[in-house]
Amino acid sequence: MTTALFAVAAVVAVVSAVLVVTSRRIVHAALWLVVTLGAVAGCFGALHAEFVALVQILVYVGAIVVLVLFALMLTKAPTNPLPTLTTARSPFAAAVAGVLALLLGTGVVIAFGKEKIKPVPAGDAETVGTAIFKTWVLPFEVLSVLLLAALIGAIALSQRKSGES
Amino acid sequence: MPLVLPLLLAVVLFCLGVYGVLARRNAVTILMSLELMLNAVNLNLIAFDAWRLDGLATGQTLAVFVITLAAAEIGLGLAIVLLLFRGHGHVDADAARDLAEADEREESPT
Amino acid sequence: MIATVWRVAGVGFSLLLVLIAALLYGDSASQHAFLNSQIGEVTIGFAVRTDDLTVLLLAVVGVVATCVQIYSLGYLHERAASYHALVTLFTAAMAAVVVADSLFLLLIGWEVMGACSYLLISHYWERREARSGAVKAFLMTRLADVGFLFGIFVLGVGAGTFRISALDPAQIDPGVLTTGTLLLLVGVVGKSAQVPLQTWLPDAMPGPSPVSALIHAATMVAAGVFLIARLYDVFAASATTMTVLAIVACVTMLYAALCAAAAVEVKRVLAWSTVSQLAIMFAALSLGTHEGRHAALFHLVTHAAFKGLLFLCAGVLLHQVGSAAFVVLRRYTRRGRLRKALPVTFVTMTIGLAALAGVPGFAGFFSKDSVLEAAWEHAHGGSVVGWFVLVSVGLTAGLTAFYCMRLWLWVFFRTPALAGAVGAFEADDPMADLEDPDTSKLKDASWLMLAPLVLLALGAIALGYVDGLHLNWVVALASTVVVIFGVLPAYSLWSRGADPRPVLLEREFGVDRAYHALFVVPVRWLSKLSVLGDRDVVGAYVRAVGRSGALASQGFRLLQTGNVQTYLTAAVVGVVALAVLAGVIAS
Repeated sequence: MTTALFAVAAVVAVVSAVLVVTSRRIVHAALWLVVTLGAVAGCFGALHAEFVALVQILVYVGAIVVLVLFALMLTKAPTNPLPTLTTARSPFAAAVAGVLALLLGTGVVIAFGKEKIKPVPAGDAETVGTAIFKTWVLPFEVLSVLLLAALIGAIALSQRKSGES
Repeated sequence: MPLVLPLLLAVVLFCLGVYGVLARRNAVTILMSLELMLNAVNLNLIAFDAWRLDGLATGQTLAVFVITLAAAEIGLGLAIVLLLFRGHGHVDADAARDLAEADEREESPT
Repeated sequence: MIATVWRVAGVGFSLLLVLIAALLYGDSASQHAFLNSQIGEVTIGFAVRTDDLTVLLLAVVGVVATCVQIYSLGYLHERAASYHALVTLFTAAMAAVVVADSLFLLLIGWEVMGACSYLLISHYWERREARSGAVKAFLMTRLADVGFLFGIFVLGVGAGTFRISALDPAQIDPGVLTTGTLLLLVGVVGKSAQVPLQTWLPDAMPGPSPVSALIHAATMVAAGVFLIARLYDVFAASATTMTVLAIVACVTMLYAALCAAAAVEVKRVLAWSTVSQLAIMFAALSLGTHEGRHAALFHLVTHAAFKGLLFLCAGVLLHQVGSAAFVVLRRYTRRGRLRKALPVTFVTMTIGLAALAGVPGFAGFFSKDSVLEAAWEHAHGGSVVGWFVLVSVGLTAGLTAFYCMRLWLWVFFRTPALAGAVGAFEADDPMADLEDPDTSKLKDASWLMLAPLVLLALGAIALGYVDGLHLNWVVALASTVVVIFGVLPAYSLWSRGADPRPVLLEREFGVDRAYHALFVVPVRWLSKLSVLGDRDVVGAYVRAVGRSGALASQGFRLLQTGNVQTYLTAAVVGVVALAVLAGVIAS
């Protein structure tokens, strides 16, 4: 049953991802990104990682996509469809992506073609929380410092200094 | 479920993200495609964690950390896009060629 | 300051040579070898030798060099330091040639003289004729010196030694002997300006007159005569070489005398005269007898005196008047001013010309007579060469008298012909006959320049008697008659105001032009070809290297588009390629 759920979520994710990268209206692309992120959260859930799914929706959809929409507003993104949204390089990029997909796909199939996931639910908040604050506490602290650095950096970058070109 | 399923999905999402980064014009869309790639990575981590079950919930923890990092990174990335907008009046990545050497051709001696 | 040092050094050095000659006089012959090195079976080293020939030549060189150095003190004021230094170096090189007992020491002195000659002829290097004359002289003598060098090799290896005093013609294979002496003869012909290498001496006249006196009259050109005299046994043993020498000498003496009779500048007449008189010396040497050698050396000494004197007088004329061309000097002579303004020069030049012409009583008469006598005796011994030499020298004596008289009359005396007569030297300017230059400031040279003239004039008279007076009266009478036969036509032409110069003689038989077409033009063409080859062929490759570097950098610059997505695409492609490669290698 999880496999069926996963399959549905996967299809939704792929379709909306294609729409993200090929949509002609920028705001539409951002909204399709929301759908993709949600579908991926669904995939997480089908893989018994419920906590991570919730965090994904909270942080990614709730914060990151909102930030993206803010940026689109601040950079005066056009709302009408623009055919020139993709550069002339797209066939070549498609070829590169295709080759990469082929490579990675074959590698994955060759390596893990016969493995199976057992349906063991081990993704609740308690398990993950214990893991983070027991085994992974140092990276957690470092991450908080990194967030601080990102905060300061973002503020410093976006300040308008007087007399600076 | 077979392990290859989530892994293949991750591959597909990743390559779509690569295409988007290389082919899209607007800088914000490039960042969005970057998010796709990060999501593919997360999917990989979760899939391997569900398969391995090593008792430390490694994959899930690292997935949470990746989400955090994505948040920090997109904050800074969008700040840079704003700067680009302030400097050029647009966020077209194809038109922003300040790194090129084409302007110096008149001054350089042959 | 440096100029003064060199002036003093120059005079001192030449006086030193005279002193050495005086000290060595009367000593028996001696040799001394040093710095020997063995190469295979042959020993090469330096050696010096003193005998009567050395003493004679040292005395000649020393006296003439002293006169020239003192004369130059008054004559020459620009670049005096280099001039006096070079004249001193030249004198030293000639001394080295004269005292050498090793063929290589002789060669060294020989070559240094050639180099000094080049540097001194081009003393006034601002003038184009000086530069080209110097190059011509150097190149022609150098060319001849190649033959000279190989002659030394052949003789030295053939004889097993390079010591002159050890060269024994009896021990050398005749073929080797002839080859070696003929090659040495090539060098002599070049150095002493005989046919076919005679064209450089008249063109060396743009050099200062004291240089002409020292180098091109008294010493360097006489080095060839000295060489043959020194190696006389070796040369006399090869009949072929002697015959070749005789032919060259006879042709040269007549050719040069004819060219002198058509020259219109004092120094050029004297230059051709030098060639002719040297040929007389060579003719005497080519007789192969002891009397011939003696006559040649006698003539060498007297020639050094009177030819040096004549060149120094020409220098005075140049210094005081500004030009030595007949056409210019004539204008000063028209009122008889030249004779009266420069009395000492006039008298000494008359003595010099008389000695050259062979007027009885002067030195030239005695020395030329000794040559004629030697030829006469050899001819009586039944030798064809002797007759040849006799007839040639006789004819040349007549021609010599002719051109000496011509020079003397035209330079110092006003022609009795009417002013309306055709100007002999103003062919393209008929009105120039009427111009009168300013002669009020004309005066004789300073005593620094006149003292050597007087000394050499005394020598031109006295040296004839130094050999002791033994005359063959028949020969003496015959030569006097020949002189009169030469003088009379010159006088009659002058008195009519005419100077007919046949075109052939004026062009000097076209030899110079032929040499130019044969040698100079092809070399210039070749040099142009090689310059073009270097610049357009080799240089093109060099420039292409530079240009290819610039092109490559321009090509690479195209990669820097500035587009971030292009860079990223390239990066991803690179990663993919590496992954494929890794997979291929791993499998």
